[in-house]
Amino acid sequence: MPKPIRINRHGAHDIAIEWDNGQTVAYPARFVRLNCPCAQCEDEVTGKRIVQDSMLPILTYPTKIEHVGRYAIQIFWSDSHSTGLFTWEKLWELADKIDDWKGSIKLPKHSLQ
Amino acid sequence: MPTQEQVQDALREVIDPAFGKDIVSLGLVQALKIADGRVALDLQIVRSSADANNNLKQQVERALKGVAGVEAVEVRLTPHARSAGTGSGQGELPGVANVIPIASGKGGVGKSTVSANLAVALAQTGARVGLLDADVYGPSIPMIMGATEAPQRGGRGIMPVICHGVKIISTGFFTKPDQAVVWRGPMLSKMLTDLARQVEWGELDYLLVDLPPGTGDVQLTLCQQVALTGAVIVTTPQPVAAAIAEKSIIMFEQLKTPILGIIENMAYFESRKTGERELIFGAGGAATLAHKWKTPLLAQIPLATTVRETSDGGTPIVLADPDAPAAKAFVEAAAKLVVEVAMKNANAEKPVEINF
Repeated sequence: MPKPIRINRHGAHDIAIEWDNGQTVAYPARFVRLNCPCAQCEDEVTGKRIVQDSMLPILTYPTKIEHVGRYAIQIFWSDSHSTGLFTWEKLWELADKIDDWKGSIKLPKHSLQ
Repeated sequence: MPTQEQVQDALREVIDPAFGKDIVSLGLVQALKIADGRVALDLQIVRSSADANNNLKQQVERALKGVAGVEAVEVRLTPHARSAGTGSGQGELPGVANVIPIASGKGGVGKSTVSANLAVALAQTGARVGLLDADVYGPSIPMIMGATEAPQRGGRGIMPVICHGVKIISTGFFTKPDQAVVWRGPMLSKMLTDLARQVEWGELDYLLVDLPPGTGDVQLTLCQQVALTGAVIVTTPQPVAAAIAEKSIIMFEQLKTPILGIIENMAYFESRKTGERELIFGAGGAATLAHKWKTPLLAQIPLATTVRETSDGGTPIVLADPDAPAAKAFVEAAAKLVVEVAMKNANAEKPVEINF
């Protein structure tokens, strides 16, 4: 599994991670928030997702990103959420799911995008 | 003028006999400077023996003088360790180069005795050493190190107590002897982070952290909030102890904290009368673990009445009886630990850079 070298801002609110295999992955902010691995967002026993798209403000974005030890980052979100720790494994695993997520978005009429 | 490569190549010819490896691979060469025909460097020492250190220094000088274009050589012996740093400074304790937790899965394997003796052995090389007793339930470092006074308030925080040349702080200093610590996890975590940060450690090469047994809140908090150089695992040869020690290793692996090595305590008992060795707790537990996790076995410490007596007496055996086999094993473990830290820091991965 590759390891991250650099974590940058991508566009206004998205997160770009530069991996040591040369790949740079742009993670949409909302997609990352929806995949938050904390116990409030994911059932610890069944693994079922608790946080749903409809539960988040239309614009949800990271306000701050911090290191957690040598193995993860903690993201502070505009909806005041910050309990999820995103490990390198988790972030690498999420890279493959970005396209599916983008394809699944049904934009509501009032959407900003 | 000699090139960096020529100098490095010459240094790679100098083998530390105790480790059978060259000093560059061992990470012992620091602050290498080449200017015109002058080469200056700091050579980190790993043991207190002046003869061995000077011998190595002379070998380095000889090797460098053999390089074409080198006119003057300045080699300084230093007991100070370098730090890998986190880049961002996040999680670093100011002034502390290396934070090293001493962990065991199982209790009662002699983790505190090992921590105290390692700390004293490291300090004997001239390194600046701190020892944080984070075993909230059974703080024993004050007794083992013979601390008689309580820590004083300093200008900014708590001043550690200095025992046998080691700066110590223990959760035991802040609870009464007749009081038990019956706390929930979050309070334990807070106690630890407060202690680590509010103590005026000053400049330290090594801060050893004597952890409580297990893989709970205290261990997790330390790994998450403090940038650690790597952990030392203590076990006995007994399969049940080694199996539980493995859980500690797995925890550190999960938290991406490197394992610096394993120390096997109570490895054997040597009869004072007959010299016969008895394997009270069996054999091979630590070696199997070290092999499986590709980490060095730093030492096998014999079980000896004197180790227990000196611990209870407040002067660790490394000082009380330096010629005892157990004391020699601790000194050996400390030397190996210094090298492991030096190697880790010389080849440390760059921490992730966050610009957000």
